[in-house]
Amino acid sequence: MKRSLFGRVWPNATAVVLFIGLVFPVYWMFATAFKPTGDIISEDPVWFPTDVTFEHFKTATEADHFWTYVSNSLIVTVCAVVFSLIIALAGSFALARMRFKGRRGFIVGFMLAQMAPWEVMVIAIYMIVRDASMLNSLVPLTLFYMMMILPFTILTLRGFVAAVPRELEESAMVDGCTRTQAFRRVILPLLAPGLMSTSMFGFITAWNELPLVLVVNKEAESQTLPLWLTSFQTVFGDNWGATMAASSLFAVPILILFVYLQRKAVSGLTAGAVKG
Amino acid sequence: MTVQTERPPSGPSDVRKADGGGTGGPKARAASRAGALAPYLLLLPAAAATVLLLGWPLLKDGLLSFQNLNMAQLIQHVTEWTGFDNYKEVLTGEDFWRVTLRSIVFTAVNVVLTMLVGGLIGLLLARLGRAMRFVLMIGLVLAWAMPVVAATTVYQWLFAQRFGVVNWVLDKLGWHSMADFSWTGSQFSTFFVVTVLIVWMSVPFVAINLYAATTTIPGELYEAAALDGAGTWRSFTSVTLPFLRPFLYATTFLEIIWIFKAFVQVYTFNGGGPDRLTEILPVYAYIEGVGNQHYGMGAAIAVLTILILLGLTAYYLRIVLKQEEDEL
Amino acid sequence: MKRKLIAAIGIAGMMVSIAACGGDSDDDGKKAGADGYAGQTLTVWVMDGSSPDDWQADLAKEFEAKTKAKVKFEIQKWNGIQQKLTTALSEENPPDVFEIGNTQTPAYAKTGGLADLSDLKGEIGTDWSESLNKSAVFDGKQYAAPWFVVNRVVVYNKKIWADAGIKETPKTRDEFYNDLKTIGEKTDAEPIYLPGQNWYHFVGLAIGEGAELVKKDGDKYVSNLSDPKIAAATETYKKFQALSKAPKDKDEATPQQGEIFAKGKTGSFIGMGWEGATAIATNPAIEKDLGYFTIPGAAAGKPEGVFLGGSNLAVAAGSKKQELAKEFLKLALSDKYEGGLAKANGVIPNKEALQGNLKGNAAAEAAAPAAGTGDTTPLIPEWAAVENDPNPIKTYLTAVMKGKSPAEAAKQVEGEFNKRLAQQQ
Repeated sequence: MKRSLFGRVWPNATAVVLFIGLVFPVYWMFATAFKPTGDIISEDPVWFPTDVTFEHFKTATEADHFWTYVSNSLIVTVCAVVFSLIIALAGSFALARMRFKGRRGFIVGFMLAQMAPWEVMVIAIYMIVRDASMLNSLVPLTLFYMMMILPFTILTLRGFVAAVPRELEESAMVDGCTRTQAFRRVILPLLAPGLMSTSMFGFITAWNELPLVLVVNKEAESQTLPLWLTSFQTVFGDNWGATMAASSLFAVPILILFVYLQRKAVSGLTAGAVKG
Repeated sequence: MTVQTERPPSGPSDVRKADGGGTGGPKARAASRAGALAPYLLLLPAAAATVLLLGWPLLKDGLLSFQNLNMAQLIQHVTEWTGFDNYKEVLTGEDFWRVTLRSIVFTAVNVVLTMLVGGLIGLLLARLGRAMRFVLMIGLVLAWAMPVVAATTVYQWLFAQRFGVVNWVLDKLGWHSMADFSWTGSQFSTFFVVTVLIVWMSVPFVAINLYAATTTIPGELYEAAALDGAGTWRSFTSVTLPFLRPFLYATTFLEIIWIFKAFVQVYTFNGGGPDRLTEILPVYAYIEGVGNQHYGMGAAIAVLTILILLGLTAYYLRIVLKQEEDEL
Repeated sequence: MKRKLIAAIGIAGMMVSIAACGGDSDDDGKKAGADGYAGQTLTVWVMDGSSPDDWQADLAKEFEAKTKAKVKFEIQKWNGIQQKLTTALSEENPPDVFEIGNTQTPAYAKTGGLADLSDLKGEIGTDWSESLNKSAVFDGKQYAAPWFVVNRVVVYNKKIWADAGIKETPKTRDEFYNDLKTIGEKTDAEPIYLPGQNWYHFVGLAIGEGAELVKKDGDKYVSNLSDPKIAAATETYKKFQALSKAPKDKDEATPQQGEIFAKGKTGSFIGMGWEGATAIATNPAIEKDLGYFTIPGAAAGKPEGVFLGGSNLAVAAGSKKQELAKEFLKLALSDKYEGGLAKANGVIPNKEALQGNLKGNAAAEAAAPAAGTGDTTPLIPEWAAVENDPNPIKTYLTAVMKGKSPAEAAKQVEGEFNKRLAQQQ
C-alpha cells in the first residue's frame, strides 16, 4: 500500500501537535517550579527556565510536617495497593478460571462497587471511623483506599488471568506441579505486567485521595500529601513558583512509577506475545 | 505494548469465549467436586472487604439520609429520625433537578469528547511509525500519570487571570479582550477549563486502550475485507469497529463513572462557583452536606446521586449481565 | 483432586499473614494522669495569625511551671474551620480549648458542644467589657470567654503616597477616594488592593450606614439585603473596588492581601493590624514604608463603620480536662497575657483597663477611633450557616462588582440567604 506524501505527513504532524498539547501542562509545571519569581510573574512568559533556581522547592519542602506527609502518603498508598492486589488476585482467579453458582452476581457486584461515589459518603465513613475510635490513624485510610481500588483491580486482573492460556497451566500440572505451584511458577510470572499496570491505577487513586483524609485525620501527624498541596493556595497566596514546585514534587513519584512500570509491563508483554 | 495494561473488564471474556468454547466438558466435572468451595474461598476476602468497607458506609449513608443531622446532633451523637423529610425537601426543590440535569449534560459532553479524541488518537497510534508512536505514547503516559490534584493546580496556573500563559497566548493571537480574563468568573468559562482538564487527563486511557485493542485484530480479517474489495472506510466499519465494540463499551462505561464523579477537578478549580453554577452532583452533595453542615440532607443527595449513576450505566450493566449469562 | 481448595487456602493464608502486618500504626490516645496535672497535655486550637509565636511560647512555659501540664498549640486555618470544629467537637478527644469566631459562637453554644463557663466568668470575668462579652453569652449562660476584637484600618505604603505627592492621610471618604485616584494617575502602583469579596469590610460599611443584614419576619430571620441602606454601602464598596485590579470573585485571604502588599506595588489595602505584620514577614523591607490610618467616613471626624471581628476562647464540652482547661483560660486571659496580646497584635483586649497596652501600636491607634461605633454581624445561632462557603453575601458582592444593581443582586441571593437562615438546627 503506497501512501501519498500528504498521507505520510499528516499523521506525524498531528502526533507532534498532540504531543505538545499533552505534555505542555506537565512541562509548564516543572518549568515554573524552576524559574525565579521574576520570570514567573512577567508580562511575557519565559518559555524556558534559563535561570534555574531551587528556591521554590526549598519553600515547599520547608513547610511544616512535609516529610511526615511524604511518609504517610507512601505507607498508605503502597499498603492499599499491595493489599488490594493480593485480595484481587485471589478473587480474579476464581472469576476467570472457575465456574460456580453466583459468579455473575459477583462480577456485577464488583462493577457496582466500582461506581461507588466515595466523595459523597465521607460523612458516613467519618462517623463509622469515629465511632470505632480510629481517627487520626493510617489504618482506616489504608483500608478504605484499598476498597476504592479493589473493584477495578479485580475486574482488570480477571482479564489478565483469563488471557493466560489454560494449556500452560495444565501442562505444568502434567509435569508434576500442584495447582498452587503451577499458579506460582507459570501464571504469576505471566501476570506480572498485568499486576503492574493495575497497580499504576491503584497507586494514582490512593495517592490523590483528598476528601476522606480531610475529615478523618485532623492531626498533621496522620495527614497526607494532597492536603499539603491544596493548603498551598492559602499558605503561599499567589506564589505560583512554590505551588508548582509542590505540584512537581507531588507528581514526580507517580511519573517515575509510570515510566518504570511501563517499561516492565512492555518487556513482560513481549515475552507473552511470543506465544501468539 | 500496554496491550493488556488496561484491558476493559469485558474484553478478555470475549476472547475466551472465542477460543475456549470447547473446553466446557472437563471443567464442569471438576467444579462439581469437593473443590467447588474453592471459588468462594478465593472470593471471600474480596467479598468481605466489599461488604465491610463499602456496604457498611453505604448502609450508614442510607440511614443518615432518614435523619435530621446537623451540627448539634452530630456533636451530641443524637439520632433524630425524620422519615422521608430530607428526600422530600431535596426532590421538591429546584436546585437538585437543575444540578442533576447539569451533571448529566456535563458527563455526556465530557465522555463524548474523551471517547472521540481518545479513539482518534488510538487509531492514529496504529498508523504512526515506531519512533513517532513512541513519542506520542510518552506524551499520553505523562498526561495520564499527572495526579489529579496536581493537574488541577497546574490548570489553575495555566488559566490564571494575571500571568496565566493561556491568557497571554490568546492576547497575542489577537483576542485582546482575553488579556485579563477571569476564567473562574462565569459558569461557561469554568466548565470550559474543567472540560479541557478532564479530556486532557482521560484521553490517554482511552487512546492507549483502543490502540492496544487494534493490535489484536487479526490481519487476515483485513486481507479478507480487501479481497472483497472493501476500501479503507469499509474495512474500518466492517472490521475495526465491530472488533473494537466491546472495548468501546467498556471504556465508555468507565469514563462515565469517572467523569460523573469528577469531584476534585470541579471542586478544587472553582469550588462549584461562581454562584453555585458549576456544582455537579457530587459537589452539590458535598457542599450541602459537609460544607453547609446539613449532614442528613447530604446523605439523601448522596443516595440519589448513586441512583442516578446506576441509571446512567444501566444499559451497560445489562449488556454485561447478558454476556456473562451466555458464557455459563 | 482438592487442588482448587489448596490453592484457595494458600492464597487466603498468604493474605492473612500480610494483612496482619498492616495494623501496627497505633494512635496514642494519652489518658490523663491521676495525680495532679503532671504528664497531661492540653490541646489548644488557635487561628492562623491571631496570636504571636512568642506569646504562645511564653504562655506555654508559664503554664507548665504553674500546673506541670504541657500545652500543645495547633494552628488552624479559617477556611473550612466550621466543618473541622463541628466534627472535632463530636469526637472522643476534642481540642480542650479553642479559639472561636465571635459571630460563630452563638451557633456553637446552641449545639451543646461548648462547656458552660459561667463560674469562670464570676471568678475572672467580672470586668470583661460588655461589648465583647455579649457574643459569648447564649440563653443567659456563659459559653466562652471573650478574647479580643479587632477592626479594620487602611494599611498604606507611605512611599507610594509620597510619590503621588500626598502629604496627609485623608479625613473623609471623598478625600480618600481622590487620594487613591491621584495615586493611580501619578504612580504605576495599584492604588488599593480590594478584592470583590472582602465582606467584612462590606459589613463595616453597612454598619456605618446603620443598616441591618437580616430582619425579623414573624419568628424567622430573613435577608435584609434589599434595604436601600445596604445598597448605599454596596455602592461605596463598588466605587473603591473599581480602583483595584484585584479579582472580583476572591476574598482578601486568597491570596493573602498582605503578601500582595508586601511586593511594594500596592498603595493600600483594608485589613487588620496583623495583616501588616504578614506583609513584613513576607518582605521585611516593606516595614519602613508601612503605615496605618483610620478608614475615613462620610464626614470628617466620623470614622467609617467597622465590623468588630474577634475571637472568644471556648472549652469543649467533651473535653476530659475541664479543670485544666479553665486553669489555662485563667492564665491566658490574665492581665499579663491579655495585655501582652493587645500590645503585640494591636487588638482590643477584653477589659477596658488593659487598653493602655495599645499605646504606641500604630495599627491599634488607627483602629481605636472607629471601634466605638463598630458592631458585629447578627449574634444569632442562625448566622453561622450564612458564613459557610459559598457565602451568599460574597456572591452578592461579586454580582454587584460585575455590574448588577444592588437590588438585582440582593434578589439573586435572597433565596440562598433565607434558606440558610431557616436551616434546621
